[in-house]
Amino acid sequence: MPENTPYMVAAYVITAVILVGYAGLLYRRTLKP
Amino acid sequence: MRLLKTGRWITAVGLVLLAGVYVRALAFTPVERTQGMAQKIFYLHLPAAIWAEGAMILVGVASIFFLFLKDPRLDRFAEASAEVGLVFCTLVLTTGPIWGKPIWGTWWTWDARLTLTLLLFLMYVGYLLLRGAVTDPGLKARYAAVLGICGMCLVPFVHLSVVMFRTLHPQPIVIKPSAPSLPGEMLETLAFSFLVFTVLWVGFVIQRYGLSLVREQAEPHA
Repeated sequence: MPENTPYMVAAYVITAVILVGYAGLLYRRTLKP
Repeated sequence: MRLLKTGRWITAVGLVLLAGVYVRALAFTPVERTQGMAQKIFYLHLPAAIWAEGAMILVGVASIFFLFLKDPRLDRFAEASAEVGLVFCTLVLTTGPIWGKPIWGTWWTWDARLTLTLLLFLMYVGYLLLRGAVTDPGLKARYAAVLGICGMCLVPFVHLSVVMFRTLHPQPIVIKPSAPSLPGEMLETLAFSFLVFTVLWVGFVIQRYGLSLVREQAEPHA
C-alpha cells in the first residue's frame, strides 16, 4: 500500500523531531541550570 | 557535573541508535501485507507506549517510597520520570492518530484505549503543573507524590482497556499471556527499538535528575 507511505514518513519525522528536540532542550537547560 | 555528563552521553548513544532503528525498520524489516508501510509506525509507537506507561508506574512507586522514607532523591527521580514520561506519552498520542488515519479511516475516536491514554497524558501535565504551582518544597513533594500514585493506578486501566472494553485499538500482540504473535524479524526490530527507547529514557531521566539536583544546590530553599 504505497499510499500509506506519507503517514509512515510523518510519524518517523515527528518522532525524531520530538526526541532530538527534547534532547536539545535538556542539553540547553543543563548548560545553564 | 558527572551525572549530567553521563546522561548526555547515554542520550547521544540513544539518538545514534535511534537512527539504527530507522534503518532497520525501514530497510531490513518486511512490509506487512494488509497495512503496508503504515505498520512500520508500530516500531516507534509501541516502545513509546511501554515507556509512557512504565514511567508513570515508576513515578508512583518512587512516590510511595517517598511518602514513607522522605528521601528527596525519590522525589527528584519521580519528577524526572514524569517529565520524560510526558515526552513519550506525547509520542504515543502523535504517532497513534497518524497510524490510525490510514488504517481506521479516522485520526481520533473516543474509545477506551485512546481516551485513557489521553487521560494519562493529562495526568502527566497535571503532575508537572502541580509541581510548578506549589512553592513550598515539602508540600510540593507530598502533593506530587499523592498525584503520582493516582497516575500509577491509572496505568493498568490504560493497558487492559483493550481487553476490558470493545475498542478499535488492536489487542496486545507482544505483551500477553501467550507467545507474541509477530514474525521473528518484526519481533527483533521491535526488541531493538524497545532497547533504544530504554537507553533514551535512561539518558533523559539521568539528565533531568541531575538538573533538579544542580538547581537545588544553587537554591537550597527553592
